[in-house]
Amino acid sequence: MTFSRIALALAGVLTVLLVQATLISPLTFPVPVSLPALLVVIVAIYAGPGVGVGFGFAVGLVADLGSAHPAGVQALCWLGAGLLAGRVGGLAVGRRYGTRAVAGLAAVLAAGSSLSVTLILAVLGYPVPSVTSAVAWTVPIALTDALLGLLLVPLIRKLLRAYSIRPPRADAVLLGRPADVFIRSASVDGQRRSGALR
Amino acid sequence: MRSLTRRQQIAAAALSVLALLFITLDFTGGAFSGARGGTTGALGSLYRGTDAIVGPARRFVQGIPDVGRDRTELARLQQDNARLRAQLTDQAADASTAQQLKGLQLQADSAGWQTMPTRVVATGPGAGFQWTVTVDVGSREHITAGQTVTDGAALIGRVLRVYPTTSVVLLVADKNSAVGVRDTRSGELLLAKGTGVTGMLATPLDNQLDVRKGDQLVTGPVGQSTYVAGIAVGTVTSVTTTAGGSVTVSVRPAAAQTGLNLIGVVLQQPRTTARAPLTSVGGTLGAG
Repeated sequence: MTFSRIALALAGVLTVLLVQATLISPLTFPVPVSLPALLVVIVAIYAGPGVGVGFGFAVGLVADLGSAHPAGVQALCWLGAGLLAGRVGGLAVGRRYGTRAVAGLAAVLAAGSSLSVTLILAVLGYPVPSVTSAVAWTVPIALTDALLGLLLVPLIRKLLRAYSIRPPRADAVLLGRPADVFIRSASVDGQRRSGALR
Repeated sequence: MRSLTRRQQIAAAALSVLALLFITLDFTGGAFSGARGGTTGALGSLYRGTDAIVGPARRFVQGIPDVGRDRTELARLQQDNARLRAQLTDQAADASTAQQLKGLQLQADSAGWQTMPTRVVATGPGAGFQWTVTVDVGSREHITAGQTVTDGAALIGRVLRVYPTTSVVLLVADKNSAVGVRDTRSGELLLAKGTGVTGMLATPLDNQLDVRKGDQLVTGPVGQSTYVAGIAVGTVTSVTTTAGGSVTVSVRPAAAQTGLNLIGVVLQQPRTTARAPLTSVGGTLGAG
């Protein structure tokens, strides 16, 4: 993981937490819309389940420490949301779903993660709305997440595809038999090369 | 569908166990109180800074649903305010009216008159005179021309014309108004004529009269006056003697000629009993 990816992740998490606390929560009260959960899900959809698990855990833990409920609840739920979004999102990305479809998928997953957080807190005995209310809120949460997703999906997709933060990997394309490989294009020491590999 | 690599699976499992461990530790003993305090404090500072930026936008959005309600509430409060102000004004007017009625009643009681209370409904020039007011009683209330009009303490004027439901009252300050008056100190008789805004000028019947500044004048039996006798007309403000020997007395009306509201028309009082002559009883006069 490069420094630029870490810096971008930290900036994204911090920004989303601040926007959540100062804008989203007051405007959507009492419906518990969670912008960080939506961020985790969208990142996982485009970056894969491995990134989704780690990113979800990290964002959830920071959010937990900034909250009054036990640390680890959102970390666990958003870890699961990242894992699920990474796996399911592969289909959406592979089939080149548009922004609206990805936003809808992310909204459903984010709303599910919010519901799971509420249910865990209810099990732990914290003063949360009743299960009925939590389930009833899932629909407005999903709708709000979908609207927010229409803004976030293109932004996150563009950021993750930016060359400067892409993970280092060989992009060689093999042509012909293994014994006689022609490299049409490869990155060697940061420079584009081409030619036959013996 | 993408899947985790072996290392990612191990990492995911480890993070899940870690999260459960955090939940257990924090739920049972508050193991993260220090970390929570630091995180909350740092985020709190950032929240304040962020709120300074996004707060106005948030408050604007939050206020949108209340716009209609606020306008409705504002309109309702304005109506309430206007109604309460009207009530206050009405109460003040009622108090003033009650005071005037009380004065009329006292005057009627003390003089044995019947007074018809009436309210001034219009002022200004009328019937060719300048200083007149229109009151809301007329012939239906047995008002007749020439009846004396008073405010309960002083003379206002007399009824000039009568209509079924209204009457026009000529004020004593009008230039065509003439009132026979008597000086309460000396008993001298004068004829007071209105002069408009400056009040009245009184002309004595006898230039050798005894009238001084400050004397009180009441209605008296002079000329063809139809005024009820004994009502305060005004106060002498100056006595001027010309070179020709004629005397002019300036009078300030006892009743304000403007701002009239509730006044009373003195009806003709019926004499129900014959007046008894005075007889001498043991060297003094007494009613027989």
